[in-house]
Amino acid sequence: MPQNEYMERHRKLYGRRLDYEERQRKKEARAPKKRAKMARELRGMKAKLFQKQRRNEKIQMKRKIQAHEEKKVKKQAEKVEDGALPTYLLDRGIQSSAKVLSNMIKQKRKEKTGKWDVPIPKVRAQSDAEVFKVLRSGKTKRKAWKRMVTKVTYVGENFTRKPPKYERFIRPMALRFNKAHVTHPELKATFYLPIIGVKKNPNSAMYTSLGVITKGTVIEVNISELGLVTQTGKVVWGKYAQVTNNPENDGCINAILLV
Amino acid sequence: MSLYNFKKIMVVPPATSFIDIMLSRTQRKTPTVVHKHYKISRIRAFYMRKVKYTQQNFHDRLSQIIQDFPKLDDIHPFYADLINVLFEKDHYKLALGQLNMARHLIDNVAKEYVRLLKYGDSLYRCKQLKKAALGRMATIIKRQKDNLAYLETVRQHLSRLPTIDPYTRTIILTGFPNVGKSSFMNKITRAEVEVQPYAFTTKSLFVGHTDYKYLRWQVIDTPGLLDRSLEDRNVIEMQAITALAHLRACVLYIMDISENCGHTLEEQVHLYESIKPLFANKPLMIVINKVDIIKLDELDEARRNVLANILNDENVPVIQMSTVSEEGVMEAKTEACERLLGFRVDHKMKTKKVENILNRLHVAMPEKRDTKERPAFIPESVMQKREIDAAIRQKRKLEKDIEEEEGDDYILDLKKHYVTIPEEERYDIIPEFLDGHNIADYIDPDIFEKLEELEREEGMRLENGFYDPPKLNIDETLQEIRDMARQIRTKRFILRDNKKLAPKADKPKIPRHKLPHIRERKVENLKNTMEELGVDMSGKDDANFVKSQMSLRRGIAPAIGGSIQKKKDKESSAIVKSTGQPLKRKAPKHELGLSNVITKKKAQVMAKHDIAKKLKKMCLKGEADRFIGDLKPKHLFSGKRGSGKTDRR
Repeated sequence: MPQNEYMERHRKLYGRRLDYEERQRKKEARAPKKRAKMARELRGMKAKLFQKQRRNEKIQMKRKIQAHEEKKVKKQAEKVEDGALPTYLLDRGIQSSAKVLSNMIKQKRKEKTGKWDVPIPKVRAQSDAEVFKVLRSGKTKRKAWKRMVTKVTYVGENFTRKPPKYERFIRPMALRFNKAHVTHPELKATFYLPIIGVKKNPNSAMYTSLGVITKGTVIEVNISELGLVTQTGKVVWGKYAQVTNNPENDGCINAILLV
Repeated sequence: MSLYNFKKIMVVPPATSFIDIMLSRTQRKTPTVVHKHYKISRIRAFYMRKVKYTQQNFHDRLSQIIQDFPKLDDIHPFYADLINVLFEKDHYKLALGQLNMARHLIDNVAKEYVRLLKYGDSLYRCKQLKKAALGRMATIIKRQKDNLAYLETVRQHLSRLPTIDPYTRTIILTGFPNVGKSSFMNKITRAEVEVQPYAFTTKSLFVGHTDYKYLRWQVIDTPGLLDRSLEDRNVIEMQAITALAHLRACVLYIMDISENCGHTLEEQVHLYESIKPLFANKPLMIVINKVDIIKLDELDEARRNVLANILNDENVPVIQMSTVSEEGVMEAKTEACERLLGFRVDHKMKTKKVENILNRLHVAMPEKRDTKERPAFIPESVMQKREIDAAIRQKRKLEKDIEEEEGDDYILDLKKHYVTIPEEERYDIIPEFLDGHNIADYIDPDIFEKLEELEREEGMRLENGFYDPPKLNIDETLQEIRDMARQIRTKRFILRDNKKLAPKADKPKIPRHKLPHIRERKVENLKNTMEELGVDMSGKDDANFVKSQMSLRRGIAPAIGGSIQKKKDKESSAIVKSTGQPLKRKAPKHELGLSNVITKKKAQVMAKHDIAKKLKKMCLKGEADRFIGDLKPKHLFSGKRGSGKTDRR
């Protein structure tokens, strides 16, 4: 009955096979050939997995090699000398400072453009046919005035449906979302925050009023969790965020906070 | 079989391969072809199935893992404690709990996405949703990477734990490191525990089995204990403590009297005292080892004083042994087994169960009534017979006796028992054949008489008509039927013979150059044949046997009167009966469309060249040779067809 570390024990008692080292060496030597064969002969899903793994391995290898090479190279940090510089050496310092300057200009320009400079300025138009599905009603299904929203919607908490006779737009329960993954662009962190309302759907005012959330929609989120404070010291609890993904395709809402 | 076998736990795959396994299984086991023109409900079902299938697989596999691992609350406290010592209970429980959580999360994700898929309105959207769902499941598992890795190591370790049955008869060896626990174990079992002359050679529990009184005894070798408090003890020592604490067994405290192990007698005694609470309610023995170096009696006064306390304890027997010279080893084992057996029986006697058995069990031990003898009655005749038998048995000399008497000169002689044969003939050699006759055939002296008897009997039977076929009474109708049958038979034979005699039908029935045999149809002939067959044709003279007419289709009759000549032109020798003109046939194919002889010749030459070329190229014998050299060329029938063409491998 083998028990505990029986393999080590056996090795200790009887040693390895006599050709163990040789076999190991050969195995190692053959490994590239075997890998090449795999790369050649695998097909389908397995090939994809294999290639991906191999690619990652290669990236790691290259990084390692680079790291080693960097270690060898002695970095010669240039000291900026005090005092006057000859003209032919002037442009280095200037160049770097110019870069900063241009960055600053860009920043300023950005600020100038105003409040509605959003991360996704252009939005693909969504036609009614895409957003609404016609529901047929009536005894003989002749009437076609009902619509069902096929996109993700936000519906307020105290919403009650109208009686079916008057209800023109149906927003299915399955597509109602009330939380979004909001990324703070400066903190570079994402939070799962409750939605307060839909501020604007750029496609149509009707979508806004229906609470349809598509890519590019600006929503209001509750950021009291983040604990942001205004200049006057009040806790900010509502802020706008723009949706960056297609929620109906992904099953979740990703948004970026507009700061 | 022991209750606890941790060897059957399934392998826990690392997170990455876990995901690969699950996703590739979904790919393999669910349909893979869908088109956007399909009905939307079909597309939705297609993707929903994928999501649900993946979830189910994740769920099943995670459940399997969670179930396989032993629950610490359900197993024997010994194992629970051992697992706690080896793997830390908190960590273990946390890992399993987190897997449980992951399972729950995966279920939720699937539920959520299936709900969304119900509203998918295009193939693209459904596909995206499926992708998102599987991706989220994979992420959840990826977060469990560390837990899965940890559980895999636990599994490997668990499967290598010795199978200790906590309920059976057990002997536990304990003591300081290097006092000879493992050597003792090797002496009484076949466990082959490693023995080395340094401390802590044994790093974990080892189990061996031994026999005593036809029972199986489990012997547990524990790692050595050092004399320190429980908190300071390391994992190796804690295993020993666990075994001591939870197993109801006979404990052998082994001491090294020679102090070769590096620990003085005082220390050993002190350890004994300090772990004494663990020995409560268990049979305990002290085994003094290494007496081949120094005997107990040879100890100096100071050391003996140290031991005095132990030696004087009446409840704890002290046994001396040496695993090197093997003296006292068996005694130690026997004593331990005896004590444990007694202890277990005592324990059983105290339980309620024992009464049930004791009530049923009764061994009668009758006492003597008086001093009078009451022997069994044996009739006189039987006694006499017995005596005679005994005498005969004594008198008769067996072959065996003779063999013993004569020794090497003895020859087995069986012929001396042929007492009916006179002695001078008794040892004659009987040949198998004599004068060409088999001796065995003449063993019976009256064989000829018997044969004669048989023949006579047979002759009588023949005379009496025993073998004659039974006579049949044939009346007139039966006779008629028989005659008819005979006729039919003969006719059939004749026909068959005629057919056999007729020339073989390899060649065409009617060669072209011969006149076809046209059956003559005459009323006379018909009449004759019918009459021959036995049909009454009288009075049928005015029956309407009209001369039959040939149909137009078959209306080709040979040109009668013309000499038979070979067909030379396209006009055949046949004449169309309906028109009376010679039949015009189409020109053969190779001559079609060729107006004159020159072109015909030219065409012939060209054809000849073409055919020759083809024959040469394909190595054929002639135009009609349809030989294909290799019907199944190796390169097209070996190996798998890849995703390329059919005629490449």
